[in-house]
Amino acid sequence: MATLSTDLNYLQAKKGLFSWIFSVDHKRIGLLYLYSLMTFFLVGVTLGILMRLELLNPGKDLVEAKTYNQIFTLHGVIMIFLFIIPSIPAVFGNFFLPIMLGTDDVSFPRLNLLSWWIYIIGAIMALSTLLFGDGPADTGWTFYAPYSVKTGTNVTMSVLAAFVLGFSSILTGLNFIVTIHRLKTPGMTFLKMPLFAWALYATSWIQLLATPIIGITLMMIVAERFFGVGLFDPSIGGDPILYQHLFWIYSHPAVYIMALPAFGIISELLPTFSQRTIFGYKAIAFSSLAIAFVGYFIWGHHMFTSGMSGTGRFIFSILTFLVAIPTAIKVFNWVATLYKGSINVQTPLLYALAFIFQFMIGGFTGLVLGALATDIHLHDTYFVVGHFHYVMFGGTGFAFFGALHYWFPKMWGKMYNATVANIAFVILFIGFNTLYFPMLIAGLMGMPRRYYDYLPEFHLPNMISTFGSWILATGLLLMLGNLIYAYFNSKTKPGRNPWGGITLEWQTQSPPPVQNFDRMPVLPKDGPYDFEHKPTIKE
Amino acid sequence: MENNTKKHEGDLHETQHISSYKQHFSTLVALLLLTVVTVAISVFGANLRTLSVATALLIATVKVIVVAYYFMHLKYDHKLYTWLIMIVGLLFVVFTALTSIEYFNR
Amino acid sequence: MEHASGFVLPNSGHNRDAEASKMGMWLFLFTEILLFGGLFIVYMVYRMINSEAFLLSSFELNVTMGTINTVVLLVSSMTIAMSITAIQKGNTRLSVNLLFLTLAAALIFMIIKYFEWSAKIHHGLFPGMEYYENLPKGEGLFFYLYFFMTGLHALHIIIGAIIIAVVIYRTKKGLITPERYTLTENAGLYWHLVDLIWIYLFPLFYLIH
Repeated sequence: MATLSTDLNYLQAKKGLFSWIFSVDHKRIGLLYLYSLMTFFLVGVTLGILMRLELLNPGKDLVEAKTYNQIFTLHGVIMIFLFIIPSIPAVFGNFFLPIMLGTDDVSFPRLNLLSWWIYIIGAIMALSTLLFGDGPADTGWTFYAPYSVKTGTNVTMSVLAAFVLGFSSILTGLNFIVTIHRLKTPGMTFLKMPLFAWALYATSWIQLLATPIIGITLMMIVAERFFGVGLFDPSIGGDPILYQHLFWIYSHPAVYIMALPAFGIISELLPTFSQRTIFGYKAIAFSSLAIAFVGYFIWGHHMFTSGMSGTGRFIFSILTFLVAIPTAIKVFNWVATLYKGSINVQTPLLYALAFIFQFMIGGFTGLVLGALATDIHLHDTYFVVGHFHYVMFGGTGFAFFGALHYWFPKMWGKMYNATVANIAFVILFIGFNTLYFPMLIAGLMGMPRRYYDYLPEFHLPNMISTFGSWILATGLLLMLGNLIYAYFNSKTKPGRNPWGGITLEWQTQSPPPVQNFDRMPVLPKDGPYDFEHKPTIKE
Repeated sequence: MENNTKKHEGDLHETQHISSYKQHFSTLVALLLLTVVTVAISVFGANLRTLSVATALLIATVKVIVVAYYFMHLKYDHKLYTWLIMIVGLLFVVFTALTSIEYFNR
Repeated sequence: MEHASGFVLPNSGHNRDAEASKMGMWLFLFTEILLFGGLFIVYMVYRMINSEAFLLSSFELNVTMGTINTVVLLVSSMTIAMSITAIQKGNTRLSVNLLFLTLAAALIFMIIKYFEWSAKIHHGLFPGMEYYENLPKGEGLFFYLYFFMTGLHALHIIIGAIIIAVVIYRTKKGLITPERYTLTENAGLYWHLVDLIWIYLFPLFYLIH
């Protein structure tokens, strides 16, 4: 062995704050994202718990109507723009995409660092709305015109923050696409890439091609607030629904920016913990692209009750149902992967199974909302709130936590206490479903969303829901506490491949060296999940 | 410098094609001619109405293709780029088509 | 990227990769296309709703100036394309001169634009002015979009000019050479995109007639 300095892993290689915040190492940037994301996530969770507290009983408990509006807007802006959209790509994509492709970094390492800085600037802008003027925006995260043009709250700053964050998202997507095209290790073709890379590829295309539309739309809102022309005002020939079109042309594909990487994570977890090849590799890979593509054309289903033309509603409804096909293909393939596998029940697998369960509830309720007739009844009720939390949190959030438990030993070279992690999972799972399932019922009963108050007949589901939020918070704290404890105190060295995984990141040391590999990674013979010809990994 | 650049299997960069000055000049002439046509149709063919919008957009699209194909070097690049551009174009066309179907039927 | 055991990865993100830079540039151009694409959708819908008003307002625009600007941009597209040919052939000086010509074209474009805009503002057609506020239904939207879209386009011209200035500086410093001219190529791609957007803006605003 040669000199010590080059044998240090990426965590030890350099010391000091500046070696982190100006690092161009994709692994360190991934961790920077992780730490900042989790901070904002906890702020968002706190806001969510505040809302649930207000809704514990009918009438005003804690906050005024306007404050409540500001809280749910900020909760939405933080959770969507600061947490879910960057979550899996920016943290695990940054950290593992290059390793899974068998290279040492993304194609544009400095651009990657710039993305993180832009993200931080955007985050500071978003949170700064708390501090000056009339407080955070009270429009809802959708910033619908004309209210967003007229309200006195800090809409301009929130909107600019979303614009800046979008820019960060575009740059990450751009970087990943070029990396996937240019830096696959020799012998790895597109069809031998891990499915997580495929999911990131599809996601990156959405980030790249959808985000500019919201950018320009938000700029129009800013210009409107500045000049006050009434670009979306019917009295001078404008149309407020056009704003909604433009907004959802981005924001619907953005749903797939949030969901597709989670699909990628699940497609990694299931083969590893059932020790067999993924069922339908190509079907899963191409369905990601299909979802990304069809996902562009179904934005209108957010606007069925807006006064859009009947023909428009009809077309958007049909297209919406189309997207269920590739999604269902994925679910069937995942379930088929488990069949006759040698299943090893570990914490990450539990998260993956919870994902499938909760995502299916989210998906089916989505079909209910995609149908024109039922949507008229359910639009803007708590059914919608329940639906998208099942998809976003129950889906992507759980996949994120699953990935965190899956790759924790690789990222830090330490192992957490599995029993505590499993207990935390159970609490989280129960808390999640107690929190959001009653929302579906309250919505069916007709409870409208976005009010700080409700009629007495909705009391029971709301009370259960608020109890659920406390259980969920307990689970979250226990889960994070367990991981943080392991980070500081764990003495267990997990070795290169604690789970018996097959993708390339398991062939290197834990934590990986600065250049990711200490020896040439070996590709399995037939595709990335060929467990029958798994390369033997020496420590 | 040479051994520092990456070698890939199926490298996109086979041989660097150099466009000639003459070719660039001919491209410009073609573009200018198309500009003259589109202005002439608009100024002298005012009674064509919707037809003139369609022709104006058609000529603009032809001009864009010429610029992309010759000036932006697409003709000599890997076909991947052409495919990607077509997909982006298709995406935008579907956006406009869906939106206009919606508005036409109000 | 050498490891202690002497192991070197065959593919590294830290190597110079001209193809990757070009691909990155193209992807960035896609985002620009869709950025303007959003505006074109707004334009399309409002023109559909207010076709008469858009027709009437377009007579306020000066076709001659618009045509001259189109020609100026097309010529500048050629000069920057030729500049790439020049550097590929090893003629650094010609390449720099052609870039200067492109810069000059950018300047001419902006001067003409300045006169056009100030004429409109002189007539009170800028959003917020009294005359503008009293325009009939739909005409205000036309001018709003005119200023928004040509303004954003002009911003791109300025950014493009700055990039070209950087390319000139780096070529003169010897950082861009006949072996290594990715930046010139990418600046060219960006400049052509600015041209492409104008190719659509021109008929949509000036040539409604």
